[in-house]
Amino acid sequence: MQKTQTLALGEPRPVNLAALEAELSALWRSAAEDPSARDVVTRACALTLLAYVESEEEGRQASNLIRLVTEQNPCRAIVIIAEPHAAPAGLTASLSAHCHLAAMGGKQVCCEQITLRARGEAVENLDNVVLPLTVSGLPVHLWWRASRFAPPAYVDQILRVADHLIVDSTRFANPETDLRDLATWLQGSSRPLAVTDLNWARITPWRELLAQCFDSSERRPYLDRLTEVRIEYEQESARLVTQRAQSLLLAGWLASRLGWVFLEQSAPAESGLHRFLFRSGERPVRVESVARRFEGGGSGVCFSIELKADNSSPAVFSLTRGPDGRVVQTHAEVLGLAPVGRAVRLEVLEEVEILNEELMLASRDRIYEETLNMVARLTGSNN
Amino acid sequence: MAKPDELANPLREGIRLRRTPEPCAMAIFGASGDLTERKLVPALYYLTRERLLPAGFSVIGCSRTPYTHEQFREKMRHAVTEHLRLPGDESEAFVGSFGKGVFYISDNFGDAAAYDQLKALLDQLDQERGTGGNRLFYLSTPPSFFPVIVQHLGATGLAKPKLLGETWTRIIIEKPFGRDLASARDLNRVVTSVFAEEQVYRIDHYLGKETVQNLLVFRFANGIFEPFWNRRYIDHVQLAVAEDLGVENRGSYYEEAGLLRDMIQNHVLQLLSLVAMEPPATFEATAVRDEKAKVLRSVRPIPLDRVNEFAVRGQYSEGWVGGQKVPAYRAEPKVSPASTTETFAALKLYIDNWRWADVPFYLRSGKRLPKRVSEISIQFRGVPHLLFRGAGAEGIEPNVLSLRIQPNEGITLKFCAKLPGTTMQIRPVQMEFRYGDSFGAVPPTAYETLLLDCMLGDATLFNRDDAAELSWELMEPVLERWKQDDSTGLAFYEAGTWGPAEADAFIERDQRHWMRL
Repeated sequence: MQKTQTLALGEPRPVNLAALEAELSALWRSAAEDPSARDVVTRACALTLLAYVESEEEGRQASNLIRLVTEQNPCRAIVIIAEPHAAPAGLTASLSAHCHLAAMGGKQVCCEQITLRARGEAVENLDNVVLPLTVSGLPVHLWWRASRFAPPAYVDQILRVADHLIVDSTRFANPETDLRDLATWLQGSSRPLAVTDLNWARITPWRELLAQCFDSSERRPYLDRLTEVRIEYEQESARLVTQRAQSLLLAGWLASRLGWVFLEQSAPAESGLHRFLFRSGERPVRVESVARRFEGGGSGVCFSIELKADNSSPAVFSLTRGPDGRVVQTHAEVLGLAPVGRAVRLEVLEEVEILNEELMLASRDRIYEETLNMVARLTGSNN
Repeated sequence: MAKPDELANPLREGIRLRRTPEPCAMAIFGASGDLTERKLVPALYYLTRERLLPAGFSVIGCSRTPYTHEQFREKMRHAVTEHLRLPGDESEAFVGSFGKGVFYISDNFGDAAAYDQLKALLDQLDQERGTGGNRLFYLSTPPSFFPVIVQHLGATGLAKPKLLGETWTRIIIEKPFGRDLASARDLNRVVTSVFAEEQVYRIDHYLGKETVQNLLVFRFANGIFEPFWNRRYIDHVQLAVAEDLGVENRGSYYEEAGLLRDMIQNHVLQLLSLVAMEPPATFEATAVRDEKAKVLRSVRPIPLDRVNEFAVRGQYSEGWVGGQKVPAYRAEPKVSPASTTETFAALKLYIDNWRWADVPFYLRSGKRLPKRVSEISIQFRGVPHLLFRGAGAEGIEPNVLSLRIQPNEGITLKFCAKLPGTTMQIRPVQMEFRYGDSFGAVPPTAYETLLLDCMLGDATLFNRDDAAELSWELMEPVLERWKQDDSTGLAFYEAGTWGPAEADAFIERDQRHWMRL
């Protein structure tokens, strides 16, 4: 494990771009010349990471995560704290450096962070400040860490030069609305942009396990016979929104991949129940997503998904993660074959772990985009 | 019959999902051996736990020891927990679940009834665990059993796919693949009389190592290196595989094999072919293996009467390694006190093609050297005209690109830089990339990579019949000459040193020196 240290370099002060760059140069020069430094300081940068937040507290959280991100993704980080309704209006900047000793000792690798605070009408100028600060020749990732997906005009300008937009539907106050807004925004985007939803990355192992259920030639035909899907997640936990968004994404993914035609969402019959009705050829398909109590639950890791095929050739495929949070039990029962089950590892990943991976793998994800469009259709029917 | 695209799994679409093989069962011959316990079963456990193997995946151990299913299961559970790659990875839920897919058949490898029993168990697993009729056989027995097992598999009908065109059957053959050219040819003949070549996966675990695979990426995914990768810019190449261990409890095997057979003929020549190969047309098994074989075909054969110009051998005597006093090779268990088996070898090879003409490739490997390290070093030619004279020039050293395979996998480039100050003083500095520092994640073991590749039908990292024979062909004159010379020319080196003085003299004759490892 690397040991990371964050050094704050001076108080926030009004933004002066020329002065900022000069201060950054001075910072690295003084670090290199420090005779007391035990190890050589190396400045590392492979990308520009812009983190967009809407409060001082979220800015602190983002900075803490960036400190960990820099261990694997050396970058220039620019934290943008935009508070359009705060007073007095103004734009200030502060500098800090995240330094960590490389494993096996030796060099101290440091990355710089610029924190921009914009209040009131000063937020309108953020794009003019941010764009010159991006590192030339390196990819720009915008990490949208706000509670709603509604990029204002000045963020749109930043997105025009960004290569990668990272959102986390866990953070959306209302995932149904915000996922739909994201889909709409993406459809209207004038240039291809890689979009990552950290919550989508969280369900990749679930998708993988579901895909594995149908890998054999005996079981593959059951994908065309599915009539029921039931997704269950924890009712009482801090991760309720995370799991609600995940269940929507899973439903959207299954429907888009299997070519199901969305018919309607029936009104919730009980607390937390969403029922989506589809048609696959002549066959009706019902997808239910429900929040319920799990025995031993509460931490928000319990999750299950069950797929059933029609009565003509009954089959059940299920994945269940219990309160342990590490183990998923898989089970498959197909007429004429012995039931098969196993336990596999599926740990709940921390935000920073997923972010680090996504920064390395940034590329357009057509499957996510199609899923998002399906989610937009599912959630659009409510309004 | 359904067309292949009708059977494609639409849930698999998307770049972010990892590759997982079709349902299958794997039978390991020699399952009571060390390799199964230390490498194969832990690798299969990790692959299962990490969701990389299909549900219902099953392992059948086949060996002479009379175990019941439950006894073998228990032994393998123990193996998994004993040989964890990452501490704290054992969990009853995972180990128990993995154990349910472990079975055993007692087999002396020559008994036809045991193969019938194996066939029946495989069929039963297809029914009960949905293994889909796909079979992988792993030969991890002493090599003398390879032909017997292969022929029995053929006679029982197990070598053919269960359903032609719908299921697959593959066989992995552990090294050593033969002990000389004649035996390798014989083995190839037996194996290919029963299995088609595309079913055969000759394993060399070195090729599963991350850095070895990264060598291909380094060469062919970066535009800046390939223009320099030739005789115009490269002075020479060194390939070193050093071990600090002795022969341990493998004395009797080693007496028969020796270092040339154990390391150079397979691991080191594989590295050589990856360093020297031309860019393949595609990154597919046939194209990559064609290019690797072309390199071996281009290696200049060493004439029998000039072996001593191109090769040096040594044997370790008593010494100190890692602060411990260690015995001489001749004092190791099951080793003859008058043994002439080599535990160190250094070779110089030339590749006669347009890219590498006159560039020497120095190969060096040994046991009981100061540390365990494998490295490929590419030394570039010096500058054509030296600007810096006098004191400043003293620090100038040739550029060296080092690819470290183990441990601390990574890539280092050495170049010259001016020392800060008013005088012109030059020192070599290093630019370093380390896997562990840069990516954080712990890479899969070589066996995890290779077992998964085989189940996925990807033979890129496995050895083909022609390459196996070509590499023996290259070693033939050296083996023959050393056999004829017996103890003449065998140099001794103290355990814990970098080999005999004769090896230093060997490279110094060319005004070069061994890289410091």
